[in-house]
Amino acid sequence: MAAKQAIQVGTKIVKPVLSTNHAEARLRVLSLYKAWYRQIPYIVKEFDIPKSENQCREKLKELFMTNKDVTDIRVIDLLVIKGQMELQESVNMWKQKGHIMAYFKPTEEPKPKGFLSKFFNSNE
Amino acid sequence: MGVLKKTTGLYGLAVAPNAHHTLGALYGKILRTLKKMPEDSTYRKYTEQIVKERAAVLTKTKDVFEIEAKINCGQAEELIVQAENELNLARKMLNWKPWEPLVSKPPAGQWDWPPTKA
Amino acid sequence: MSYLLKRALGAGCSMGRNVLNNAKSPMIQRIVTKTEQAAPQEETRPTVAKVDPLQKSQLVDFGKYVAECMPKYVQKVQLTAGNELEVLVPPEGVLPVLQFLKDHHTAQFTNLVDIAGMDVPNRQYRFEIIYNLLSLRYNSRIRVKTYTDELTPIESANDVFKAANWYEREIWDMFGVFFANHPDLRRILTDYGFEGHPFRKDFPLSGYVEVRYDDEQKRVVVEPLELAQEFRRFELSAPWEQFPNFRSNPASEEIINPGDDKTKQ
Repeated sequence: MAAKQAIQVGTKIVKPVLSTNHAEARLRVLSLYKAWYRQIPYIVKEFDIPKSENQCREKLKELFMTNKDVTDIRVIDLLVIKGQMELQESVNMWKQKGHIMAYFKPTEEPKPKGFLSKFFNSNE
Repeated sequence: MGVLKKTTGLYGLAVAPNAHHTLGALYGKILRTLKKMPEDSTYRKYTEQIVKERAAVLTKTKDVFEIEAKINCGQAEELIVQAENELNLARKMLNWKPWEPLVSKPPAGQWDWPPTKA
Repeated sequence: MSYLLKRALGAGCSMGRNVLNNAKSPMIQRIVTKTEQAAPQEETRPTVAKVDPLQKSQLVDFGKYVAECMPKYVQKVQLTAGNELEVLVPPEGVLPVLQFLKDHHTAQFTNLVDIAGMDVPNRQYRFEIIYNLLSLRYNSRIRVKTYTDELTPIESANDVFKAANWYEREIWDMFGVFFANHPDLRRILTDYGFEGHPFRKDFPLSGYVEVRYDDEQKRVVVEPLELAQEFRRFELSAPWEQFPNFRSNPASEEIINPGDDKTKQ
């Protein structure tokens, strides 16, 4: 029964968000990446953030790579749409410095990894 | 009709100079659009009924105030707006074809409330 | 319904009445009498809202009228709380039904009062999108409901009602339902950089991040939230649901249900 349901889910015909195949979705992702990439010099200058352009490019790549395992076309499309909205917010300076810097997480302390450091952390 | 109507009293709605003629033309257009729909379409049936009744009032009298009183659905200018809307709708309906059978059924339990029953 | 409305406008000749009364097929007549039989008994309890039988019968008539005019798009018509008419449509039918209700002579629901969303995670289509309409001409209201999930876009109603613009942005922001062909879909209630959709049932009450002013950085910083407690287990039952009176009283009564095979026969 469960297997049957799984098959049904697998072959469900769904309404596309934007792209109809993987190539199209890939193109959208790439063009979004390029748009961000070209915007980086302006972002660094206009927001006056204490980061170099190269650091920003690395961060951009890192953020895109967090979703590298997404395969559902519709999920990719929605992520691209959200990325475009964020780009729009950055280009129009709706965001502020703090919002841009939030990508770099400068104040977050790394999570304790080893057993001992976990132990010390919990006893604080 | 000795009195000349100066305003409808409604913002953005100007007095129609020749309401009788405009209405007649619009109702004609609606009826012609409806003719393109299948005979047994309920939307066509009901809309034809409404529009024909209104058009019948138009043929009886030319006096705008009398038309308004007989149709009893607002001023002549509002009647024109309603007719324009209906015409627009009828033209869109030709594409939508709402007289066809149900396009998709709801999944089981979609409209149940409270949802825990499902 | 339209003749009720006429009554409100004053006595006189009423065309709407003829429209609704003339064209009743025998099947519909039968359903009418059924609901009428189920309805009667005068309500005497002071704390219970009284049902106006005249208003109710007019709403029932109008509900059937809509279902008859658009059999392709109306899945079900129901009456909630005694006097609230609801038209339940598939996602494909949102625009046609809204346009019909706005432009048709006997409907004229020209005001879009609100668009609301609802999340019921255990359904196949977890989100309900609810359009509340108001007809000033006939002094009445109607509700159009449809459904979707996280990934299925819904057609934007912005072409029909200009008011839908911001309401749809709210739904997008709060539930993450994507509206296709919206002219300016972006966040409206949450902060820039905010992640997630707060009105989803799986969104934790506390959110994912906390925001504070950092003295060293000289600006507001965003940090992940350390939850002192596990995520809540969400139970969808209302506190009063355990009482049999609630369970046995369905919130809405069905008027017409072409989406169901049983009523078709």
